[in-house]
Amino acid sequence: MPIFCLGVNHKTAPVEIRERLAFAEKAVPQHLGEICGLDGISEAVVLSTCNRVEIYGGSENPAAALDKLVDYLISHFAVEPGEVEFYRHEADAAAHHLFEVASGLDSMVLGETEIFGQVKKAYATAQSTGTTARRMNKLFQQSFTVGKLVRTSTRIQQGSTSIGSAAVDLAEKIFGQLDGCRVMIIGAGEMSRTTAQSLLSRGAKSIIVSNRSFDKAEELAAELNGRAVRFDDWENCLDEVDIIISSTSAPHAVVRHEMIHRVMSGRRGHSLFLIDIAVPRDIEDEVNQIDNVYLYNIDQLQQIASEGKARREKQIAICREVIDEFLREKGIEALAGLPEGRGGSGPDRIQPETAARPLTNP
Amino acid sequence: MDDLYLILATLAFLGGFILAAVSLRSESPGKQGLNIPIAIVGLIFQSLFLQLRGEMHGRCPITNGAEVLVFVSWSIVIMYLALGKAFRLSLLGVFSMPMVFVFQLFAIIYLLAADPGPRPPAALDPWLELHAAMSLLAYGAFGLAGVAGVMYFFQDRQLKSHHPGRLFYSMPPIRYLVDALVRLLVIGTVLLSVGIVAAFFMKITPDRSHLLISGAVWLVYLTLIAVHQVKRLPPKPLSFSAIVAFAFALLTLSAL
Repeated sequence: MPIFCLGVNHKTAPVEIRERLAFAEKAVPQHLGEICGLDGISEAVVLSTCNRVEIYGGSENPAAALDKLVDYLISHFAVEPGEVEFYRHEADAAAHHLFEVASGLDSMVLGETEIFGQVKKAYATAQSTGTTARRMNKLFQQSFTVGKLVRTSTRIQQGSTSIGSAAVDLAEKIFGQLDGCRVMIIGAGEMSRTTAQSLLSRGAKSIIVSNRSFDKAEELAAELNGRAVRFDDWENCLDEVDIIISSTSAPHAVVRHEMIHRVMSGRRGHSLFLIDIAVPRDIEDEVNQIDNVYLYNIDQLQQIASEGKARREKQIAICREVIDEFLREKGIEALAGLPEGRGGSGPDRIQPETAARPLTNP
Repeated sequence: MDDLYLILATLAFLGGFILAAVSLRSESPGKQGLNIPIAIVGLIFQSLFLQLRGEMHGRCPITNGAEVLVFVSWSIVIMYLALGKAFRLSLLGVFSMPMVFVFQLFAIIYLLAADPGPRPPAALDPWLELHAAMSLLAYGAFGLAGVAGVMYFFQDRQLKSHHPGRLFYSMPPIRYLVDALVRLLVIGTVLLSVGIVAAFFMKITPDRSHLLISGAVWLVYLTLIAVHQVKRLPPKPLSFSAIVAFAFALLTLSAL
């Protein structure tokens, strides 16, 4: 019994379509039951995230099953026939697609790890609902193995892909684990908030927020579980922090060389990381010349993110080789070796020679 | 046979370094984890060399410059294997391997050119053995502290340049490097202190110049640690001092 996959993702459908097709988390078990009730579909797993809606399943006649699934989605979700172009994969292509998804190769941020947890959760839901059998169980367990293998044997996760992640990666290369790192935000803009949230998510603590409008500072401080200080006072807090994010709209430098020079003399060798995401810049360039001080502006962070993206793009081919090799050596053989009636040796069995042929990019 | 073991150990460290360098530069990190098994293989051959030399002399095999260099290299590898993981510095081994390779290359050249052969048998003195072993283990810790200092400068430069290369992402955070450097200095100084104290209990009285040189190395490191404890040296001067101090310690080896 071959496996199949039907879906849309961020590359094939705009968010307006994806949000209409999204499965509400609580309704997934019910939908799974209904899908397995469709003629010819014996197993199903629904993977519904903000970037994709995919249904994996097993059927004696995958082409007919895929048509029925499309009809089901059109009848149950607010989409019109012809409005959505679903991608369809069968057999080895479906397995390959799932392995790419679990490895983060099909994600908006290449190599991201969140999708791995989402695939696990989708499988757990289907398993607890009772809509998986040996073939789906094997397929998804293999996808977890491949997801880990790709991440450990390639550099797909290496390098930053956004300004926020570049800032966090740099902070970790300076301080190691960010537990205990103290952050100060000067200028309560959106970019500061995002960057601070990235740092907080990796363990940074005690955020201090300063802004010309104290109300805004208090608002952001409350959101980030931090402390607001008046704009006249931020300089007095420099001694207390390890990371400074500045994004004021001031037309001149706010953080000056002599300020940081003075602060560093009292830091007993501890590093200071400054992130200047303001245009015009808030922090004097000369600050970077002070020993143990690392200053990055928005262009430099952007460049690191661009280089990181390019580096990850280069890794795609290597990751696909890992997946292909796995499918050749273990995946397809193992799936094909399942007993008849559960995708075993019947005419619909996935042939090893099929697995060896070049796979199309989903 | 001892020469062969030394050559094999040296080749292992050279191979390990080349493999790690190629792996760090390549698109796939595949063989990066091999540096520890290779270091273990190198250590086994080093140990076999030192064991044979020890049996030949009937004492701790530090009777000539070549053996001292191999013993220091052995100490560096032991220190790296024992502490690299604990200090979260797996790349310390990769950076140490070129140094170990160069030390052992000099040792091979020395032994092939003019191996002084076995020393006349001497009465076994455990205090002498303790003094020698502790002192050379201390040199291993000081060597690794110097390597951590070099790594700090490398990572600092990457951070300051705003164009971090591929190696940047494989390198440890600078805070860990500085923490490891300080710990290695302390470990080395404690070991050297034990070695020097042991020297006072030896049956033979060490010559004055030997004591003065050992004392000078000990004093340099003790001063470095004391200054750091009191004034909290910034990472750059601390790393620089660790590199210079090890260079000084190495120079003194030739005089010992």
